[in-house]
Amino acid sequence: MKARFNTGRTSAQGQGLEAKARPEYMAATSICMMNPVDLMDLELEEGERVLVRGPAGEVVLTAVQNEGVPQGTVYVPMGPYANAVIDAGTHATGMPDYKSCTVDLEPTDDEVKRPAELMEAVGGLAYLGDEE
Amino acid sequence: MIHEDMICPFCGCLCDDLVIETEGSEVVRVDNACTLGSHKLMNAGKHRLKAPIMRDGGAWRDASYEEAMEYTAGILLDADRPLLYGWSSTQGEAQGAGVSMAELLGGVIDSTTSVCHGPSILAIQEVGHPGCTLGQVKNRADLIVYWGCNPTEAHPRHMSRYTTYADGYFLENAFRDRKLIIVDVRKTETGSIADEFMQVKPGGDYAVLSALRAIVRGREDVVPPTVAGVTKEQLLRVAALCKEAKFGALFFGVGLTMSPGKYKNVRNAIELVDDLNRYTKWTLTPLRGHYNVYGSNEVFTWMTGYPYAVDFSRQIAFYNPGETTAVDILARQECDAALIVASDPGAHFPKKCLEHLASIPSVLIDPMHTMTTPLVRCQIPVAVTGMDASGTAYRMDGVPIHVKKFLDLGYPTDTEIITKIFEKVTEVRHP
Repeated sequence: MKARFNTGRTSAQGQGLEAKARPEYMAATSICMMNPVDLMDLELEEGERVLVRGPAGEVVLTAVQNEGVPQGTVYVPMGPYANAVIDAGTHATGMPDYKSCTVDLEPTDDEVKRPAELMEAVGGLAYLGDEE
Repeated sequence: MIHEDMICPFCGCLCDDLVIETEGSEVVRVDNACTLGSHKLMNAGKHRLKAPIMRDGGAWRDASYEEAMEYTAGILLDADRPLLYGWSSTQGEAQGAGVSMAELLGGVIDSTTSVCHGPSILAIQEVGHPGCTLGQVKNRADLIVYWGCNPTEAHPRHMSRYTTYADGYFLENAFRDRKLIIVDVRKTETGSIADEFMQVKPGGDYAVLSALRAIVRGREDVVPPTVAGVTKEQLLRVAALCKEAKFGALFFGVGLTMSPGKYKNVRNAIELVDDLNRYTKWTLTPLRGHYNVYGSNEVFTWMTGYPYAVDFSRQIAFYNPGETTAVDILARQECDAALIVASDPGAHFPKKCLEHLASIPSVLIDPMHTMTTPLVRCQIPVAVTGMDASGTAYRMDGVPIHVKKFLDLGYPTDTEIITKIFEKVTEVRHP
């Protein structure tokens, strides 16, 4: 299923900003908020996983029902998960298309990656400090 | 110990009425702050890096501040095109030192503005800014519009301190006398309390603003029955409300700056406010995210003439968003070293930018372990401004506020670290 990909703040994402290695931040940013009708079309139950494929790559997220999100759109809190699919082009404005790219959605059984795994996938080295 | 009238260092509201209780070096209670501010103040002391860390082959090791600062100066001096990015969750004083360093290095300095309200600034540079202070809104505004934003989740006290739920000096019964219009692509909690909730199809903001402008200018005949999912009836109702207001205040968020049209959406919003000003008083204010992102625009502008994305490689300040902005420079793999300060591109930049950031020598100056930590070669922990460091921060309406220190955890401030790195750079460039 194709959908328009929208990102932005949620209060849970904002609460997690000072402790991004904590599971709360991962839980807050790795969700895909969808209209109940779209969930039904994909034959997904809330809490099941959805593979989101965008212009820059794909990411596994947890599907969450949200009636405020219009059909044909998904809302993913800003963070490393949303950015795994967004293209870096800015149309000469400096601002990427954080609210307007098109993505493909399909159900998956794959696990949601941890944030550190996402950073290692782009060439980083996880810091295993006192948080994990 | 109870600390009264403290400033919240979370968002651009810079709420200045917090009561914070500390026991020794711990924050045990925060009153008056929203959930975001409370979480920051309750947690910022707990999750600090204890000392600088550096990459050593395939592992991390602890380092001294001196070694980390020496390394930072070294990579910046070795680079042909260093990028100095971030600057939004730190003090104005640190931002000033950063600009001086960028100039001396011939580098590019950019703040998180480029991925939040950068397009708003581009629009303001085209057609001006009909703004006012939040105090004016609180005391006078009888119509509030929130367009493409969700203050309930992103600026949770904005409505209670400055708009819908705030008492106003010139309003007899502020809550009843104020009307609220919400414009968004999805129905959020903020939308559910509005007098008018106008749901726009994604990407349709420009068209809806144009339709409203046409109606305000007396040309409703050119408006079709629906515009981007909004009915003409609703557009007429909203335009009438806007014209009837005694004092209207339009607040907008990244729903306008990040959507198709970007700065042209904001330009259209400013021009709608201009049109409305032919009938009554209207103002417009961007809802700024980081508590001192506005300060970065102020400090950069005083020092260079430009508000963000300033490139010193030509030995003069050059500004061209889309070319000299951090996302573009990283995506083009153009910079060969990076200093990230008080921001987290690891969490908030597209993947392609992170791939380049991870491949070049880079340093992060930030109190916490963030998503950027795995991507850099060295991190220097610092004090949190508004907690264990004082400094200047600019509220979203451009009012500078002295952010106060109430703890001493022994960390150096951003200003101290950046000034020392700057001194090391100066010793080599201007001995």
